[in-house]
Amino acid sequence: MSNVTKRNVPSATKPSTSAAAQKPAKQEPESIVHSKNDAHDPTGVKTILIVACLGCIWLIGFASRLFSVIRYESIIHEFDPWFNYRATYHMVTTSFYEFLNWFDERAWYPLGRIVGGTVYPGLMITSGGIHWLLSNMNITIHIREICVFLAPFFSGLTAISTYLLTKELWSQGAGLFAAAFIGIVPGYISRSVAGSYDNEGIAIFALMFTYYLWIKSVKTGRVFWAILTALSYFYMVSAWGGYVFIINLIPLHVFVLMIIGRYSDRIYVAYSVFYIIGTILSMQIPFVGFQPIRTSEHMAAAGTFALIQAYAFLNYLKSKLSAKEFRSFFIFAVTLAAGVVFAGVVALTYFGYIAPWSGRFYSLWDTGYAKIHIPIITSVSEHQPTTWTSFFFDLHILACIFPAGVWFCIKELNDERVFIVLYAVFASYFAGVMVRLILTLTPVVCILSAIALSNLNLVVQIIEIFCHEINIFFRTLEYYLFDENIGQDKSVDKELKDKSQYDEKVPRSFPLSKPQQDKNLNPNLKTFVVIALAVLLVLFAAHCTWVTSNAYSSPSIVLATYSESGQRQIIDDFREAYYWLRKNTQDDARIMSWWDYGYQIAGMGNRTTLVDNNTWNNSHIALVGKAMSSNESEAYKIMRELDVDYVLVIFGGLIGYSGDDINKFLWMVRIAEGEHPKDIRESDYFTEQGEFRVDAGGSKTLLNCLMYKLSYYRFGEIQVDYRTPPGFDRTRNVEIGNKNFKLEHLEEAFTSEHWIVRIFRVKEPSNRTPNKDLLRKIKRNKSVHSKKGKKRQGVIKNKPVVVKGKSATIKK
Amino acid sequence: MECAFRSLFNVLECPDLRLKRPAWFKQPSAMTVFFILLGSYFLVTGGVIYDVIVEPPSIGSTTDHMGRSKPVAFMQWRINGQYIMEGLASSFLFTMGAVGFIILDKTNIGLMPKLNRIIMISIGSACILLSFFTLRIFMKIKMPSYMN
Repeated sequence: MSNVTKRNVPSATKPSTSAAAQKPAKQEPESIVHSKNDAHDPTGVKTILIVACLGCIWLIGFASRLFSVIRYESIIHEFDPWFNYRATYHMVTTSFYEFLNWFDERAWYPLGRIVGGTVYPGLMITSGGIHWLLSNMNITIHIREICVFLAPFFSGLTAISTYLLTKELWSQGAGLFAAAFIGIVPGYISRSVAGSYDNEGIAIFALMFTYYLWIKSVKTGRVFWAILTALSYFYMVSAWGGYVFIINLIPLHVFVLMIIGRYSDRIYVAYSVFYIIGTILSMQIPFVGFQPIRTSEHMAAAGTFALIQAYAFLNYLKSKLSAKEFRSFFIFAVTLAAGVVFAGVVALTYFGYIAPWSGRFYSLWDTGYAKIHIPIITSVSEHQPTTWTSFFFDLHILACIFPAGVWFCIKELNDERVFIVLYAVFASYFAGVMVRLILTLTPVVCILSAIALSNLNLVVQIIEIFCHEINIFFRTLEYYLFDENIGQDKSVDKELKDKSQYDEKVPRSFPLSKPQQDKNLNPNLKTFVVIALAVLLVLFAAHCTWVTSNAYSSPSIVLATYSESGQRQIIDDFREAYYWLRKNTQDDARIMSWWDYGYQIAGMGNRTTLVDNNTWNNSHIALVGKAMSSNESEAYKIMRELDVDYVLVIFGGLIGYSGDDINKFLWMVRIAEGEHPKDIRESDYFTEQGEFRVDAGGSKTLLNCLMYKLSYYRFGEIQVDYRTPPGFDRTRNVEIGNKNFKLEHLEEAFTSEHWIVRIFRVKEPSNRTPNKDLLRKIKRNKSVHSKKGKKRQGVIKNKPVVVKGKSATIKK
Repeated sequence: MECAFRSLFNVLECPDLRLKRPAWFKQPSAMTVFFILLGSYFLVTGGVIYDVIVEPPSIGSTTDHMGRSKPVAFMQWRINGQYIMEGLASSFLFTMGAVGFIILDKTNIGLMPKLNRIIMISIGSACILLSFFTLRIFMKIKMPSYMN
């Protein structure tokens, strides 16, 4: 440790003088290189073991993501995956260019959506490519199966790239640990179970692989690796919006390396090549377009690029000028350069050439920003700030080991470990701000925990003993299998043979770095510690399986409940309702629902929606929110304006399903209030005590709004249980407040088996009714067909009239 | 360049300033950096950002059947919710586990009396095991169905 820090100190205090002494290929001190044993593999056994281990990890990772397929069926999950599936299906059934130019008129009615220009196409291209490959090999498989199994398949690739990255950072042993962790850790499984066909499933692989290639290019300083980094970055840009994380972290790494005096030509080559090629490539994605040179998210990368050019230029000048000349020039040039860059960015932002930070990005820094300004970001549950439970749930014991890994990396710092420490710091901060960003924290936690565990000498000893045993085993096997010893060193094998014939003891043929045994230390204590650590890891694996099976493997469009006898009941209301929509409504019917269900209606019901999960148009969503939270006649006006044919609501009160629209209702009100503050006020929906209640004590506005009426229409007639009154809401555990009401402008069209999905048809405007309250009465002509007398059914012409006492005459 | 400066100082007189870089302003040592990071890790895993945004109470309270108010430490059944104290307690345990691992590594330094080594191994593993099993208990309190 001491030699490392000492080497840093002079360069940090006087960067101008020490930079000249930089050598292109600086040798790290022997003590901090942990991978020195890695290359030693004369027999090839180690390689076989590593490949076998990675294969097992891939298999286990794949298998543990299949819970939902086994329990339910091979089905696309949740919300966003349905859009991705629909887009992939469109691409596979038509063509790639058709997909890029796809204008989807079935979404965001009446606006439509340009899908090709508003989507990260990497996911669709990946699964479409696999489909194309398989069908060319005459393996016919439906595109849905590929979509369902894509994320579990890529988890194996993620494990391998994590192994490679950790191997570059530390050693092969740590790499295997890291691969095993990332294979089963719930933080990553949550986004990559079978059926969760989303961008993150392939993006984490792209992320880790880009980082591996970046570390490789920093270590070697070769253009080859830097170009590979840029290509991998291109794949990441095409796959996920989280690429912004890479394009900020890599410049930060370079910047910090310059500050702490670790600048070298390798870094210059790696970063310059990566930035130029990576930026050009990333601009080829239609959705990204000119953002890399025009938005503030990317300005750090551009600034670092300018800075490293200036730094390299100064380094060059320093070799030409004398020290004194250089010093004055240095100060002048640095001030000038920094001033020009800063003024330039400010001016460009001011004149609108550089877009300021987008709301989502800004909310990462100013954590209160989204809460005040953008309710639609806050309304998504995965954008909530993280609690300790999420950390424990998703990382378990790794959350404890992870700081120890940071400690090892800081203790024995070199260029690439600076990177992983920065990654750890920023990822853990972002994970604290948003639950969903635990996903980007998870890989670094796995890597650093693996480093910590592999570096505890106690563990290393056990593993080395184990390796030794395995080696002996393979040696013996080799001896029995290959008697002729083709291609083996004769003398060694002869010796081997001689010895093993008698006592089966084979000498260790490669020098394992023998751990320093403490002869005087009680071996029982060590054994105890090792066993305790092993128990922790076993419990970790058990926890991962439990969380995967219980928390992350629900498709959420098919629900399951367990009765008291343990029998399972499948609740398939969503698909029932979407199938009804598909079969019983006209092809161009427009369905209004809250945006959560937009992708599902389009994907399963194949009908036009007003808003969906691509929440790009806040005012349109606010209009739907306003319709849902107004009373029926107000809502009817909005629905007529928007040409709505059907309204779909999700209602969980009958069976106690908590994710229904009444529980989301306050967000509809808030989003509507943001755009229409005069018509909708959140406080109207609360009681005077500030409570949100649906029972008789609830506010009148709430009890008469459209969402309430549609959810609870005819619910007052239902009595589920003898212990509860009719109209008892089992989700909120209250008897509803407004029971017997009629709908004026809508009529019930469909209600699913467990009432989860209710669909209402919007009536055509009715005939005009006379207004009875007018001051001036309008005289109307009486009908020519007016009937006189009681029950007079009809008139027969020239009917004889009978008068008492007279003979019948024919009336004229 | 030199001439530009020289002409300027023909007019102006240099003030006699003795500017010194403050003594504390230097690159911090690796371990300082690490402990700052560990401190911030403690705050982040404790959900301090959640506490700032959502502003939950430090501990909750409930009313029992006799109408008495009782304090509650854990917000039950809610993975996305917490009270301030439970978050800090848990993140303290996370940090304690981390420190345990670091202590275990410290035992590898050569030239250490046997007793010290034994004590350090014991403390290290005690930290790890204690923090881990307490966290499991916390989780069981929070989610009674955990690992059933």
